[in-house]
Amino acid sequence: MDSHAPESSKPPPDGSANYFDGMSSRRRTVTLRLADRLEINEDEQTLAAWAYADIRRADSPAGMLRVSCLTAPALARLEVRDTVLAGQLVSRCAGMDDDIPGRRGVAAIIGWSLAATVSIIAVVLFGLPLAADRLAPLVPAAFERRLGDVADAQVKKLFGAKVCDNAAGEKAFVKLVTAIRESAGLDTSVQSGVLSSSIPNAFALPGGKVYLFNGLLAKAENADEIAGVLAHELGHLKHRDSMRGLIHDGATSFLVGLLFGDITGSSVLIFGSRTLVTSSHSREAEQNADSFAIDVMHRLGRPAKPAGELLLRVTGNEGKGLSIISSHPLSEDRLARMSRQDQPASRPPLLTAEEWRSLKSICDVKI
Amino acid sequence: MPVAFSGKRSEFFHLVRRGAGLEFVTLGFYRFWLLTDMRRHLWANTLVDGDAAEYTGRGRELLIGFLVALAILVPILGYFLIGLEAERFQAFASIPLIAFFYMFGQFAIYRARRYRLTRTVWRGVRFWMKGSGWSYALLASLWGVLTALTLGLALPWRTAALERYKMRHSYYGNLQGSFEGRGWEFFKRGWWLWLLAPIAIYVSPLAPFVYGAFKAVEWRWWLSGIRFGGVRVESIMRRSELIGLYWKVIGWIVVLGLVFSVYLGLAAVLVASMSGAPFVEFFKSQDFMKSIPLLVLAGLGYLAFALAMNIVIRVYLVHDLWVRVLGSVNIAGIEAAANVAAQGEMANALGEGFADGLDVGGF
Repeated sequence: MDSHAPESSKPPPDGSANYFDGMSSRRRTVTLRLADRLEINEDEQTLAAWAYADIRRADSPAGMLRVSCLTAPALARLEVRDTVLAGQLVSRCAGMDDDIPGRRGVAAIIGWSLAATVSIIAVVLFGLPLAADRLAPLVPAAFERRLGDVADAQVKKLFGAKVCDNAAGEKAFVKLVTAIRESAGLDTSVQSGVLSSSIPNAFALPGGKVYLFNGLLAKAENADEIAGVLAHELGHLKHRDSMRGLIHDGATSFLVGLLFGDITGSSVLIFGSRTLVTSSHSREAEQNADSFAIDVMHRLGRPAKPAGELLLRVTGNEGKGLSIISSHPLSEDRLARMSRQDQPASRPPLLTAEEWRSLKSICDVKI
Repeated sequence: MPVAFSGKRSEFFHLVRRGAGLEFVTLGFYRFWLLTDMRRHLWANTLVDGDAAEYTGRGRELLIGFLVALAILVPILGYFLIGLEAERFQAFASIPLIAFFYMFGQFAIYRARRYRLTRTVWRGVRFWMKGSGWSYALLASLWGVLTALTLGLALPWRTAALERYKMRHSYYGNLQGSFEGRGWEFFKRGWWLWLLAPIAIYVSPLAPFVYGAFKAVEWRWWLSGIRFGGVRVESIMRRSELIGLYWKVIGWIVVLGLVFSVYLGLAAVLVASMSGAPFVEFFKSQDFMKSIPLLVLAGLGYLAFALAMNIVIRVYLVHDLWVRVLGSVNIAGIEAAANVAAQGEMANALGEGFADGLDVGGF
């Protein structure tokens, strides 16, 4: 410092600058003296003296140096347009750019963002399935039933479906469901019904509801096919899959949404990645429900294979495309698995031929 | 006295291009710093009476505001989403939810404005703001209902009332702000746009003209109403001034959309040729919907497309709009701001966080 002193005591060619003291908006034209500290003078009077180490750069338009000082009022500003003078000042202030995030600041942002991303992905892939498994049994049954009621109303509205219940069909259906339910070890809180919709499908809702669409009945050729499907859906109930799925899907969407923030159109990405993640989860649940169905059917002394055949009839060959985004395993694979583990029928059919015909026509109004 | 802008467009472009790249790498987390850098550039290059403004906000503050807002919003959001009790009464179940978030959004807008204003410094004195975010939210909601009931006709009076509230509570040092724009003047200048709006919805090529003219009318009216003590802002923006900007953005959307489609087509052909199956069969079998390489390529292309769109919007609808708006401004009575005593405290960035979380943020 000392070696610079003689040079700096010389006033620069045009030492004028603008100074704002941070207490009022008054602009003062000042002269600077680069002594052992930066002296800001107005008419021979020193307004302020700033230590070089405390001087920091502030944002400024092009062609101007604007600085503040750590020990001065926070908004006090000195503006230097003279490039020579500005250069001299900058060369004395070692800490000038200390507060400006440089490459290291940006690297820190990138690093922490990636760390956050990795931990979110880890939580989604490993933490959430575990959390869903642990949390689902803790959800009160009353709450799950309420959830089921809401879903129930929505499903019926969505498909414009009504419950089919002509007497003979209903009797056959109850007989079939009761047999499976008892074999599956579920209590009487399970509700089930056939809905009048031509879509070939069946599903389980939270709170113990199982629905079969008439469309699936129409495609079925015998009672074992329908029994296997019902057993599969009861498997979902037994495992509380819809509650687990709800916790898992909800948390995944939320965390993935957090990750992508506000990149335009991020909802597409959120949807896409959520599909990938949750479908793998649901494929696992489907496989467990299939195993459950195979067990139940064998305990009833009936084959499990017909249900697989029904599935394949409904979906057709699903081809060799990668199934990573589909929520169910491929029908071919499911059939193959059911055939592999199949046992021949050891007991009489669950429904008589007469009852099966009644069940098939459960949605016919006239009887 | 006109307002000068000394920034270079190329510099701003470089800033948003780099920012988009970093947003890509950080999956969006960089947005807080990019937004801050954009504001710093625009503020620092805006010269009023020869003195440049300064933006003293920092990205870190926005990040913290966002995290705090998240901590507050998530339980509320969760409560509403899981609160299925309301759903059982079906018909009006979602009304309280929408009303609540509308009010919350207005609250966020007010608080975000307060954050931005208290980070705005000129001549070593900061702007600041008083008033209550919730009072503002209530005012905005009531006017919102009235506007909806009158099919938008009440909009000029709503805007005027809200601006009066905001400006009355805004200060530059000890200089109190006020808003002198009247709803009636806004209405007189823009009523024909209100008539054209339904047509523009059906005849979409008309929409940029109508919207551009509306924004120009709104800017001019809004700017011309701003007062800080004896300082009067005046704007002479022409109705046609902004229409070109919107058309440029639309042009870029078309160009980028075409590039994206061509890219998707090429990617599909590439993947199809690698799978070995004949093209027609590949597309017929719907296999391509499930092909992982294609999905990854499409995802990456989409990200690039979205980021390019962000750059276009920031260059035209932030930078260029800023420059044109400033160019139309004239300030009278600036002497009143020559010796203003500093006053007011900084506000936190919570409002910005809410605005970000609810997607209601202005710039």
